[in-house]
This record gives sequence, structure tokens and C-alpha cells, in this order.
Amino acid sequence: MIRHFTVLGIAVLAGLAYPHLFPNALTIAISVLLFAGWATSWDILGGWAGQLSLGHAGFVGLGAYFVAIGQSDYGLAPWWAMMLAMIAAAALAFAWGRITFGLRGPYFTLSTIAVAEILRMIAINEGWLTGGATGVFIATLPEPFGIDLFSRVVHFHMALAFSVLTVAIVIIISQSRFGYQLRAVREDESSAMAAGINPVVVKLKAFMLSAALVALGGGIYGIFLSFLEPHILFYLFLSIQIALTAIIGGRGTIWGPSIGALLLIGSGEIFRAAFAQANLLIYGLLILVVILFLPRGIFGEIQRRAVRRRYARSTQG
Amino acid sequence: MLEALRAEGITVRFGGVTAVDHVSLTLKDGEILGLIGPNGAGKTTLFNALTGFVPAGEGRITLYGQDVTRDPPYQRTRAGMGRTFQTERPFEELTVLENVLVPAFLKTKGRHEARALALEMLDQVGLADRAEQPALDLNLARRRRLELAKALAVRPRILFLDEIMAGLNPPALREMIGFVAGLRTQGLAIVMVEHIMQAIIELSDHVIVLASGKMIAEGTPQAVTSDDRVIEAYLGTD
Ligand SMILES: Nc1ncnc2c1ncn2[C@@H]1O[C@H](COP(=O)(O)OP(=O)(O)O)[C@@H](O)[C@H]1O
Ligand SMILES: [Mg+2]
Repeated sequence: MIRHFTVLGIAVLAGLAYPHLFPNALTIAISVLLFAGWATSWDILGGWAGQLSLGHAGFVGLGAYFVAIGQSDYGLAPWWAMMLAMIAAAALAFAWGRITFGLRGPYFTLSTIAVAEILRMIAINEGWLTGGATGVFIATLPEPFGIDLFSRVVHFHMALAFSVLTVAIVIIISQSRFGYQLRAVREDESSAMAAGINPVVVKLKAFMLSAALVALGGGIYGIFLSFLEPHILFYLFLSIQIALTAIIGGRGTIWGPSIGALLLIGSGEIFRAAFAQANLLIYGLLILVVILFLPRGIFGEIQRRAVRRRYARSTQG
Repeated sequence: MLEALRAEGITVRFGGVTAVDHVSLTLKDGEILGLIGPNGAGKTTLFNALTGFVPAGEGRITLYGQDVTRDPPYQRTRAGMGRTFQTERPFEELTVLENVLVPAFLKTKGRHEARALALEMLDQVGLADRAEQPALDLNLARRRRLELAKALAVRPRILFLDEIMAGLNPPALREMIGFVAGLRTQGLAIVMVEHIMQAIIELSDHVIVLASGKMIAEGTPQAVTSDDRVIEAYLGTD
């Protein structure tokens, strides 16, 4: 645990130095950090608890819309809106999980696609609330302690704080009773029950925490975009991107999702700039290579080898 | 001695098949109950009904006087039942130690206490030197011992063992019999499904014989193994 927090501390220092070193490359860094946070949060449910969700864009949208509507319609400061969004996301996850965690296999996954779609329909059709298909625009934001919330550097710091928070939470979980319950439920529900674990409760907790954290990141994303369109925010493609980021990086590992974000989102942006049309092809090939040769994801394979090496060493000594 | 377990009229049906048909039994602290019968007799099903993994259509189960008939399996675990699975079910992606940590968290406070308990259990079953090994890599005999360590780590008062001796070579079998005998001296009540007669005869205080879901005989191991109906059930109809 100390080792992981040391790495995280170094990452924070590097993050704090970044805007000074690359002041013109903030947007891509914000994307990477938001995806790192989203994928790490997704992974609490998808990797640690083994329940694949393809609906997490719904929670991104929820967070972003709460901030935008709260600000433009109710004059609500974004931090309160984010808190409300987290509660709403957790409540939605709870309700949805109660219905679907009885289902096995792909049914939960399919149902998550439906949740995000329903939210998208609401965002598009309930124009009185959401601005409809044209979206909502954040025109003004408060200035807490004189901080300009429209500034890119501030967005960067918020995204950094978000991703660091999610990783810190996962580091703590990984060593805790809850973390072992998550893994047990993922590996074998019967065996988990024999260990006194109620799988539905564990999955519900994971879903709620995962949803709330993603909504928090969604709120930051909303501020960053300042103009919200339902087609982008609740889109299945975003859900898939979040899931793929974690899967490619390594499901159920502390650093996998962040590594995935660095690789997929970072390189994705670079490819887009360099290859224009071919970028999706390269993106697809990258995913294929990882799935074929590193089925546990990049960090998942690294970690597995480390475990085996450690064991091999311990038997020699 | 305290009555650990009482089951009355347990019946389990799968569609048209009555896998367990009005079986009753009792078990006291420190006692070992052997459950035998030919393949398909309903032993595993009865075992699962007692531990809550299969709902009993009829009947009543009490654990130290507390009615657990409607309780899901994890609640029965918390109430004092520990079990192994006939086909071992390790958490495959976890190490041996992590496998035992999962149940060890149930009755301990905090991860340091849980870790200490898990290591103690691994030591008890002789797997301490393999703590860091991926569970997937264990051979059969060690997977069995891992199952045992997991079942013991919930600190059960009654232990349910489903064919933990099957497929073991003679030295491993001897070791396992000795181990189970040791558990009894710790005061644990044990329900044991077993095909290996040597283990049943050496360990059980009381034996129940199932055939086609019905209890056809019960008594001491000696009485049961010389019972004509039992001999017929094993030799006649198979
Ligand atoms: N899940 C199930 N669905 C349908 N039939 C089952 C199921 N489990 C067991 N059975 C049937 O119940 C009977 C008892 O099986 P089982 O309890 O496994 O016997 P044993 O453990 O004594 O070999 C068998 O006829 C078996 O085919
Ligand atoms: Mg059986």
C-alpha cells in the first residue's frame, strides 16, 4: 500500500509540473486524466467486482448535466451540483442493481446500455429541463477564492485531483475487506457465499461507488466542455471507451485503467492529429493486439508475472 | 453436549426427481456424522440443502436451536456453518493466501487480524509455504487442503465436508483422516460426505445411508456397514 501511494505521490508531482512544462498541451492531458478517473471508477465494478457495464456514459452525462442545469437554471454552485449528481448516480445504480444483479452473465451488461440510453432520451426529449437535442450552455460560473473555473489550467487541476482521488480509493479498497469481497464475488459467487459474503450487496456497493465517482468526473467534464450535447455525453461510444480503457490497461488492477487512459486516449489523440482518417484503424489494431497477446490487459499481465516471479524466488530461498 | 444441528423432514425436488426425500438427522458438538450412499443417492443435494445452497422444498433446519431454514447460505455461514465444495472452487485469480483471506475477514477486525488468521489456517493445513502461489497452480491434494483452510477460516462451529478424501493417494488420505480427527478434538461438529469407507469407519460417530434420496439405514459405522439393505443398495442396484 505504501508503495502504491509513493507511486501516486510521484504522479501527483509530475501532474503539478505538467502545466508549466507543456502549457499548450492541456486539453489532451485533461482528457487522459478524466478517462483515467472514469476507467478507474468503472473498474471498481467492472474489474474488481467483475460486472461489465456498458452504460457508464450515463453517469458522465448525469454529472455534467447536473452542473450545467444547476448553474444555468438554479444558480447552484458546481460543487453542490456535483455532490447532488453523485447522490443521484448512486441512487440510480442502487435501483438498477437491485433489479439486474439477480440476472447472470451478459444480461447485466445489456441492461446498463439501456440505462444510459434512457438517460440520453430524457436529455434529448425533455427540452424544458435539459435544453433538448441542442444541449445546454454554461455561461457563468462562480469564482471561489478568485479561481477562474473557465481556465484550462484549473480544469487540468480538477481532472488531476479527480483521477488521483479514484486511484487512492482503489488503493485503499484493494487491501480492505471490501476489496477481497469484490474479488471473491468476481471469481466465484458460491464460494463467496460460503465465506459469508452476500454477493448482491457487494455488487450494489461497487456499482454505487463506481457510479458516484464517474458522475463526479462528469461534473468536471461539464465545466471543461461548458457546452453539453446529449449525443456525446450519454453516447454508447463513450461507455465503450471507458470500459475499453480499463480492459486494455488491466481490469481489477490499481494502475491498469490509468495506463489504459495514457495509451488509448493519449495515443488516440496523437494518432488523430497525425493520421486523420487512419486513426480509428490504428486504434482498432491496438485493441486487437492487446486482446490477443495480453488478455489480462497490459498491467494485468505485468502484475501476474510479478506474482509468479515472487513465488518462484520464495521457493528458491 | 450441545445440539449443533437438527434437520427434520428435508425434501428437495428437481422437477419430477425427488433428490432428497424426508431425511431427518441430528448432530452434537464434537461429533462426526458420515453421509454415504451410491452415486446419485442425493448426498450432495442434502448437503446443499443443509448449507442453504439448494432450497429445501419441505422440512426444517435448526442450527444451535436457531431456525435457519429460510436463511441464504451466507447467513448460515455467519451463523456458524463452514463448507467445502466437492469440486473445489478456489478463487482462481488470487493467491493461496488471498483465497483464505476472503473468509478470514468474516470473523476478524481489520486486515492485520485477518491476515494472521489466514496464515494460521494455511499453517494448519500445511500450505503455509505456498501462501504466495497462484491458487490456479495447486495440484489436487493441495486444492483440497485449500478448500479446508477456506472453510475453517470462517471459524465455523459445524463443518460440512463434501468428499474431501476422493482421489487422494494413500499417504495423502492418511494425512487427511488424521487432520479431520484433529478437528473433532477441537470441538467442531462435522458432517462428512464420503465414498472412502476407510475414512467413514475411522472417523464417524454416526452414519446415515442414503439411496434414491431416502435414508435407508443409520447407526454406528460397524452396524451400518454390515446392514443387508446397505450392502444391497451398494451392490444390487448399481
Ligand atoms: N441441480 C440439479 N438439477 C436436477 N437434478 C439434480 C440436480 N442436482 C442433483 N440432481 C439429481 O438429484 C439426484 C441426487 O444427486 P446428488 O445429490 O448429486 O447425489 P450424490 O451426491 O449422492 O451422488 C441425482 O439423480 C441427480 O441427477
Ligand atoms: Mg455428490
